[in-house]
Amino acid sequence: MRRQEAEQILLRTFGIPKFYDKQWQTIEKILNGEKVLLIEKTGFGKSLCFQFPAFVFNGTTVVFSPLIALMRDQVKKLSSLGISAKCINSEQTPEENSQIIEEAKQGKIKILYIAPERQENNEWIEATQEIKLSMIVVDEAHCISVWGHDFRPAFKRIINLVKLLPKGLPVLATTATATKRVEVDIAQQIGGSISIIRGNLMRDNFKLFVVKVNSEDEKLIWLGRYLEDMPGSGILYTGTRVDTEIYTKWFEHLGISSTGYNAGLDSDSRIAIENGLMNNRWKCVISTNALGMGIDKPDIRFIIHTQIPQSPIHYYQEIGRAGRDGETAYIILFYNPDDRRLSEVFIDGSRPVIQKYEKVIDAVKLELLNERELMKKTNLKQNQIRVIKADLIEQGIIREVTFGGSKKYEFVPDSQPLNTKAFEELRTSKLEDLENMVGYIETTKSRMKFLCDYLGDNTHYSFTNCDNTNENKIIVNITPEWREKLKNFRANYFPILETAPISKKNLKELHKELVIQDKNGNGFELVVNEEVVASNLSEYELETSDIPEKEDFLKLLKSHLTKERLIDGVAASYYGFSNVGSAIHRSKYENGGDFPDFLLSLTLKAFRKKFGQEKFDWVVYVPSTKSGDLVKNFATTIANILDFPISHNLQKTRETKQQKVLQNGVLKRENVSDAFTYVNPEEIRGKSILLIDDIYDSGATIKEIGKILTNFGANKIAPIVIARTVGGDIV
Amino acid sequence: MTNEAAYWIALAHLPRWGYKKINELIIKFFHENQVSIVDFFGLTESDWRNIYQLGEAQVTDLQNAKSELGSNAFLAESLLNQGYEIIPITSPDYSKTLKENLKTTQAPTVLYVKGNKKILEEKSVAIVGSRAASEIALKFTDNIAKNASKDYKVVVSGFAKGVDKQALDSAINYKGQSIIVLPQGIMTFTSGFKKYYKQIIDGDVLVLSTFHPKATWEVGLAMARNPIIYGLADEIYVAESSNKGGTWSGVIDGLKKGRKIFVREPEPSETSANRLLIQKGAVPVDSEGNVLLNMTDSVPLEFNSVVQESRLEGEGLDGKIRSVLEFRALTAKEILGKLNLDWTTSEINKYIEKLNFVETRKLGGKKLFSLKEAKSSVQTRLFD
Repeated sequence: MRRQEAEQILLRTFGIPKFYDKQWQTIEKILNGEKVLLIEKTGFGKSLCFQFPAFVFNGTTVVFSPLIALMRDQVKKLSSLGISAKCINSEQTPEENSQIIEEAKQGKIKILYIAPERQENNEWIEATQEIKLSMIVVDEAHCISVWGHDFRPAFKRIINLVKLLPKGLPVLATTATATKRVEVDIAQQIGGSISIIRGNLMRDNFKLFVVKVNSEDEKLIWLGRYLEDMPGSGILYTGTRVDTEIYTKWFEHLGISSTGYNAGLDSDSRIAIENGLMNNRWKCVISTNALGMGIDKPDIRFIIHTQIPQSPIHYYQEIGRAGRDGETAYIILFYNPDDRRLSEVFIDGSRPVIQKYEKVIDAVKLELLNERELMKKTNLKQNQIRVIKADLIEQGIIREVTFGGSKKYEFVPDSQPLNTKAFEELRTSKLEDLENMVGYIETTKSRMKFLCDYLGDNTHYSFTNCDNTNENKIIVNITPEWREKLKNFRANYFPILETAPISKKNLKELHKELVIQDKNGNGFELVVNEEVVASNLSEYELETSDIPEKEDFLKLLKSHLTKERLIDGVAASYYGFSNVGSAIHRSKYENGGDFPDFLLSLTLKAFRKKFGQEKFDWVVYVPSTKSGDLVKNFATTIANILDFPISHNLQKTRETKQQKVLQNGVLKRENVSDAFTYVNPEEIRGKSILLIDDIYDSGATIKEIGKILTNFGANKIAPIVIARTVGGDIV
Repeated sequence: MTNEAAYWIALAHLPRWGYKKINELIIKFFHENQVSIVDFFGLTESDWRNIYQLGEAQVTDLQNAKSELGSNAFLAESLLNQGYEIIPITSPDYSKTLKENLKTTQAPTVLYVKGNKKILEEKSVAIVGSRAASEIALKFTDNIAKNASKDYKVVVSGFAKGVDKQALDSAINYKGQSIIVLPQGIMTFTSGFKKYYKQIIDGDVLVLSTFHPKATWEVGLAMARNPIIYGLADEIYVAESSNKGGTWSGVIDGLKKGRKIFVREPEPSETSANRLLIQKGAVPVDSEGNVLLNMTDSVPLEFNSVVQESRLEGEGLDGKIRSVLEFRALTAKEILGKLNLDWTTSEINKYIEKLNFVETRKLGGKKLFSLKEAKSSVQTRLFD
């Protein structure tokens, strides 16, 4: 096809008169059945490079994309052009997905978007046997490379697939962010004769600022004071989910219009927030880096980071979402020298110690195990198991197999021993990346030039778009008035405990595991984790467990969900958020005597905030493992003040270990399972109970007690604790 | 080799070609013309016609197979990711014993395996026999497996109940090595992979299938698997056979091909057909597998019957069905009676309905099977 002819079709179908030269260069190769890696900045129009050929080809183009938001967005756009595009993803029901698969089999779909993880799904693999394939697209191709900023193990299988594709079937890999090293890695992995087309990555409509601060307070206060002064709407990226929550509450406290977003939200909420962002409903959306990839909003006017990203490439990727319309966008990075240490700890802790790898290898050598069984056998945390699993699969030491829909891990006979050198290399490379990120902060020259150089985009353009070249520096100064505002906020901010029975919504926030037994005592294991949740409970787990009757299981799950009487509770504070943690620690472990009064008044305040003037029939407290009568005395005082009767009848039936010693949820749950009883159950039948404990960590204890009290007929159980831990708190 | 997987799947399962035609084509492009399978599929239709002398129907088949390569890539990725391997007949990993025994006509184009494929290079012993074998037969099986394991020979069996299962269990028990030859596609054998996980990991068991990876068990595949078991083995031992069914036809087929087959010398009171097999030329052995020379001498071979039987058997089950239908239309029950098969009527019904040389019609509430007219020369058998 000639360019002229193609552009006529382009105008007719997409309403666009011309291709950019680089677009046509790519499309020409694709039409010719070649393999292409296309590296172009966000907003260039990479999608057109596969959408156009897909439209021209007979058959179906399969686009692997890790971003559901992007899939939705593109499908909407293509549909409006009259091009049949669909996506299969975990946010749709299995029925919807099956329906789309059916349409694809019938040749009714031109462009089919799917997540790489779909390659694990049997129904999908069977469907591919009947789909007439015209092209494969690997979107966000940097996810292939461990040297990139977002390596995803599921992409490994996509690479293997691409290698198996017949000669002459076109493949397009695209990314907006690849250093030279990542570029080479992608090309090598895809192999064969792949052409690389790279554009320039600079963005001169950005105004780049770095704000050096000395505390979290300075960040909170500066943003509280000046956020409203920023033009338009934008995104505030925080390092953690808890920070997202804190900033959201802080802005709420100040009356700044904002909303929080993280990957743990259910899909309806996520879609609602994404739509709200598109319509400028808030001044800003506060999010972990889960938001924004693939969101095609042209006028994001500012992007602010409160935490230093892991590398310049992460940073470039995240700020790349701003100002796609070419108008000015403000890019601000806060940096507290302490943040760097946190990142280093994170890098050091990102790989478990070698002995833990060996534990996993040894366990898998003996038995075929699923993730949950692996956790039980090794007493390792779920996230550690995941890292280890991914590494071992990458090194070809174990493999993930699916038997009867259930994922298991098997040892690969004659595999090479664990290569720890690869980990060292990766760690060194990550520390270098971080060093470079600090370099971005410390540089006295053009910040844009710094990023372009880092990305291997050797530009000689002279930039004047940062606080080192042309713009004023941002300086933080703190007034007593704002200090007071922040203090006031802290004294009125109480974290919620998501202890209510698992509903689709809070299931996603819980990340906990659930075991359900049928009437014969057969345990159905439902490891509720991000993966399950991301792929929509019903679809993933019910397909992949050895569950004989899907319908029965669903019923069982439902009855479990509705039965429990535990409701969401409240904590007086986060453990490390203020001086609460250290006060608890003094009392518990340094013979500091009863919990101090300020904890009492904070807890009472939390109670009023959450439960208002509600009356409870009983105050019940969690009998202690180690700390004597601390909680008993604390609960008694609270009961006195609130004027509810106190009960000492919740007791331990056996010794338990301290929960904090145990590494994962499976073992924590086992530790407290059936460890409690209620001595005089008659008195709580049909009653409401305020359940008190000092620290809330995994929540396993509270949930176990919730179960027991429910079984004894309690009508409502409301937990309240002094402090809730955040992952990594040393209690 | 890996990146050819999608191509090999396409070639191996060309509908109605049979191993012979496929293998002859492979010999042509791979050995004679030194063209890789990828390049062969890249040829034009006229090259296929002119260089490879393929007819219209075959060119169409190849064209269809080519259009499915993308789909096959998805299947192949899933297959390889789960640790299965595809061994094409051109690979040095392909069992030499199998090739030697089955030749171009019957050697499967690809082997799907999981486990220690080095096992394919070892000396091997097949132990076969009925699903409902007697205690004596099972004991015999155990002895043979024990001796084989002691001598570092691999035990080949078919994963059916009775003798097959005993052969496998014994080999594992005596720390020997085994090949399980599946009557189904390799991706459908999940319970087996769970059960023999440790043995597979330790390199003591190889699971092998010659069928499409997703094919589920059916009678036809179980029958088609038997020659593979015999073909993979250097020595064949029969623990117990009745005078019909898979073991029987397999042994008769083996004898026809001139293979030496050892049959357990039956007890005087036994009703098994072991004696009959010995009369037809199999070598009698005692309970430890030692050859009983004098016995073969004392019983004269019934040449006529061997010749007649083997003509029938040699064509496989489909051939038999064809020959009984040659004279008149029959019901499923009548066919069973004529063929002396121990299948249920519904099994044979299901099987026959899939044969494309048979047509079905209803007559007074009865289902009658007859040969389709004049087309009886069309190639229909899996092996030829």
